Amino acid sequence: MGEIRNFRSGNHGDPPPQGSMPRRLAAIIVGDIASYSRLMQADEEGTHVRVKRIERDLIEPSIIEHHGSLVKTTGDGFIAIFDSPVEAVRCSIVIQQNLIGRNASLPRESRIEYRIGVNLGDVIVEPDDIYGDGVNIATRIEGIAEPGQVYISGAIYEQIKHKVVCGYESLGDRKVKNITDPVRIYRVLPDADAVGRTRGRRENTLILLLGLTLLVIAGGVLWYLLMQQAGNTVERAAAPAVSPLASPSPQPPPRETATQTPQPSPSVAASTPSPAPSPSPSVTPAREPEMITIRGGSFAMGSNDDPTERPIHQVTIKPFSIGKYPVTVGEWNECAAAKACSFVATGKDDAPVTNVSWTDAQQYAAWLAQASKKPYRLPNEAEWEYAARGGTQTKYWWGDKLQPGMAGCKDCGDLAAEQPAKVGSFKPNPFGLHDMGGGVDQWVEDCWHRTYQGAPGDGSAWNSGDCTSHVLRSGSWKNDSRYVRPSNRDGYDTNVRYPTHGFRIALSP
Amino acid sequence: MRILRCIALSAALALLPGAAFAQGKTAPKDAKLYFITPSDGARVRGGFWVRFGLRNMGVTHAGDDYQNAGHHHLLVDVKDPIDPKEPIPQDKSHLHFGAGQTETFLELSPGNHTLQLVLGDAKHYPFDPPVVSEKVTVRVRQPPQRGK
Repeated sequence: MGEIRNFRSGNHGDPPPQGSMPRRLAAIIVGDIASYSRLMQADEEGTHVRVKRIERDLIEPSIIEHHGSLVKTTGDGFIAIFDSPVEAVRCSIVIQQNLIGRNASLPRESRIEYRIGVNLGDVIVEPDDIYGDGVNIATRIEGIAEPGQVYISGAIYEQIKHKVVCGYESLGDRKVKNITDPVRIYRVLPDADAVGRTRGRRENTLILLLGLTLLVIAGGVLWYLLMQQAGNTVERAAAPAVSPLASPSPQPPPRETATQTPQPSPSVAASTPSPAPSPSPSVTPAREPEMITIRGGSFAMGSNDDPTERPIHQVTIKPFSIGKYPVTVGEWNECAAAKACSFVATGKDDAPVTNVSWTDAQQYAAWLAQASKKPYRLPNEAEWEYAARGGTQTKYWWGDKLQPGMAGCKDCGDLAAEQPAKVGSFKPNPFGLHDMGGGVDQWVEDCWHRTYQGAPGDGSAWNSGDCTSHVLRSGSWKNDSRYVRPSNRDGYDTNVRYPTHGFRIALSP
Repeated sequence: MRILRCIALSAALALLPGAAFAQGKTAPKDAKLYFITPSDGARVRGGFWVRFGLRNMGVTHAGDDYQNAGHHHLLVDVKDPIDPKEPIPQDKSHLHFGAGQTETFLELSPGNHTLQLVLGDAKHYPFDPPVVSEKVTVRVRQPPQRGK
């Protein structure tokens, strides 16, 4: 199967001089079809034809387009080398994104999905193959990659991090087979679907484990109570026996759906993994908004769509939690009832609170932090954008085109509303967050700066300079779709209330 | 809890008439809103200062409900007419000056732009009759070349 396709390379027109091995530094792509044997077993000829067609129509042209050269194709994969790491990664992304399109209409079991690994290394080039440590490492990285994903080595990451506008998730140093030193590996996050898929899987495992733990505890409690009851045959134990059982039982459903009622409940599945059943809600001192934990990472912040969003710059985000929804009227009014927030909000309890100034939002955060004894705060601007993008670099978190049902804005494709919809009326982004774009404008911690010139790259709040205005994110139900973009930003007077302005809360770990 | 609900209800009741009358707070007939600079048809290079003039009314913070006082809004390239029943929108072409500012430094892309001032009340609604300035046009030329 290992037939030679073509082998072209800029500095390889001449035959190599006698005696010395032609070595060169190259970005190496290794691609391989996931579950190839299974596909072949199911339909040998059909799979072969499809693989060849993908190689002819997609892989070879993409490599040539990105100035690389195909070294060889194997039965279920290919190896290509590039002079430029940037082109190599771009080419990999193009191949993966095109495959998503090709696979979309197919049933899961007959999809052809490639794993792709990219590494930078010194290689020995022969006419029909390449050799060297660099190739082996690329192969190992490819072996680790999830189907449909591009994994890159630390060496590639260092070259491209400021050049290819993508999200990168560090997977840490990995020990790979037969290679002495551990290799740092990053996952490239070019699109929403890929993130959602892997995240969903991890989340499911977590929730399943949590559910199991709770069930075990509940079982233990029940057993203990039953034993006690059997011991002294007093009926009163029956009532408390029910309550610890009742709370863990609704846990197992794997992933929250968009239609779920957003009424924040005091028991939070996603963020607080403490299995201790909370006391009854009437006793809890402060109702805490439902939070989602965000893993840290690195991403390209900003865009070229508006002067305020330039320049695009790489920002590293530390792990944090952010409210699943904007703060609601019901949540706000608990702060007002405690006399810590300065006005009582009107409207339905599950509508986002509006007409709050930045100072009002700070008051709420301070009250919540004090009442819950947890470091609640407003999110930083960089954290907000990272969370809003949900690992994507597209114009909107769901892609480049407007789609109904995704966000609440004037021309987002749904009926224009007189009022902001109740929180969670639209689909969550890949991180499970609702209303990150549209709905209500959302205050963040940072002072307003007209551009990102001089912005910090460590994900901290940018609080220097003129601080009479602060940053608003998300756009509102009254703005048009340009404002729904995750990179959109605007500034507004710190102490002034406006009917479309709300906020969401963040929490340091 | 019942007390709380009562407070909320009474607050809502108290606010209801306020909300109803918030639209179209009356303004004196001789109130005049105008641009001190730039003048209509001005040619500017790069960024420029815009200064807001107001006669027979006062400027105050947004949220302050004083008679015959409001805060400025600068409308850049806005073609839609002002809706007297809605708060003045807040976006990149409706600039708010809720802290009582009376001037701003504006940087616009090269080309022709229109500017218009609208006075808003405590809750960002236009007055009745609306207190608005003439629409002026400025031509922004390429900023001087600077070694960047």
